[in-house]
Amino acid sequence: MTTDDDRIGYLSGEPGPELDPSDSEELDDLRALLADRSVWARPDAGLEDRVVAAITAEAGGTEVVPAQPRRTRRPALVGGLAAAAVLVVVVVVAALAGGGGNNGSHELAAALRPTALAPNAEGHATLTQTDAGWRIELDATGLPRLSGDRFYQAWLRNGEGHLVPIGTFNAPDDVTLWAGVSPDAYGTLTVTREDADGDPASSGQRVLIGRVQN
Amino acid sequence: MIPVTWTTRDVACDVVSSADLARFRAGDEDAVRAVYREYSGLVYAVALRALGSRELAEEAAQQTFVKAWQAAASFDPARELGPWLATIARRTAIDLHRREARRRAVPLDEVPAADPAVVTLPVGVERAYDVWAVREAIDALPTDEQEVVRLQHVEELSHVEIAERLGVPVGTVKSRSFRAHRHLAGRLGHLRGSSG
Repeated sequence: MTTDDDRIGYLSGEPGPELDPSDSEELDDLRALLADRSVWARPDAGLEDRVVAAITAEAGGTEVVPAQPRRTRRPALVGGLAAAAVLVVVVVVAALAGGGGNNGSHELAAALRPTALAPNAEGHATLTQTDAGWRIELDATGLPRLSGDRFYQAWLRNGEGHLVPIGTFNAPDDVTLWAGVSPDAYGTLTVTREDADGDPASSGQRVLIGRVQN
Repeated sequence: MIPVTWTTRDVACDVVSSADLARFRAGDEDAVRAVYREYSGLVYAVALRALGSRELAEEAAQQTFVKAWQAAASFDPARELGPWLATIARRTAIDLHRREARRRAVPLDEVPAADPAVVTLPVGVERAYDVWAVREAIDALPTDEQEVVRLQHVEELSHVEIAERLGVPVGTVKSRSFRAHRHLAGRLGHLRGSSG
């Protein structure tokens, strides 16, 4: 049983009892952040004055510059439709290949914790290996429904930080996602909030996080 | 021993009031400073992680706040300001990265295939919130504890080496280190395993 003192000792580099692998992996992540030089870097003290000067000069004490028009969402919409079409094909192929493909050979789970962006959120995911890939049943609470140009996106991440998108959705209750990579290798499941802005990269706005467990 | 609670902690995501936001839109100096002081850490972290240069990161941060002010009228006050600013910062950093790549332009056949300027864009904001949260947690530590944590994790010094560097007993370093990490663990429990 790993105690808080064990974890703090590990975090501070003190020799101590061997931790549970999932604990040590997570604390290594935090240690990596503490060693990240961008955590310790500070902008020049004069930057605040330069920002203020730039804005007040543009404002000129009179009219505010009109808002920029919103960017078109069409490319993202097309991308979303294409992704949906791929998902439909995957589901159909899976169904034809074996009634959904659940051969019961391998089932994993992940308890999803909230982040600072969504402190009331929590959830659970069940990951089932099928012939078509990994089917991921996600169920979460404490997250508002997103619509319009905002949505949630789920990801699997490996130890090197590579992210694989596994689907998008509006509300996180009873969602079925599909992954073409194994959660044995990509063992962290995250959910982010995204804008349909044509940028396929993660926004970094994580609302749920969990490690896949046997 | 005070038990550590490994639970989520609210970071100050949106503490700028709607009144401040309205004054920010109008270019009010005090409001601009309030927004800057609350979010410059996040914006700078995004830019620095993307660009890897303090000078360019400061340029990106300045452009980010100016762009945010220019677009403030389109910002939905019901949303969180931090993520919006982080998105602007990331796009601004990418633009600067492209600009710098063009400045360094050389004939294509002289560029190694693996040159990151050719084949990749800068890294994203995936961990910028974590960096911001860790920075806030560190800032809340007493200065002597901050220094111990920095020497330990960034300089990779042992407790003995830190004691020699600071001229204090090893026991003092150990107690500062334990106090600091207990505090950090309590504030940053939500980050455990959170990358991605």
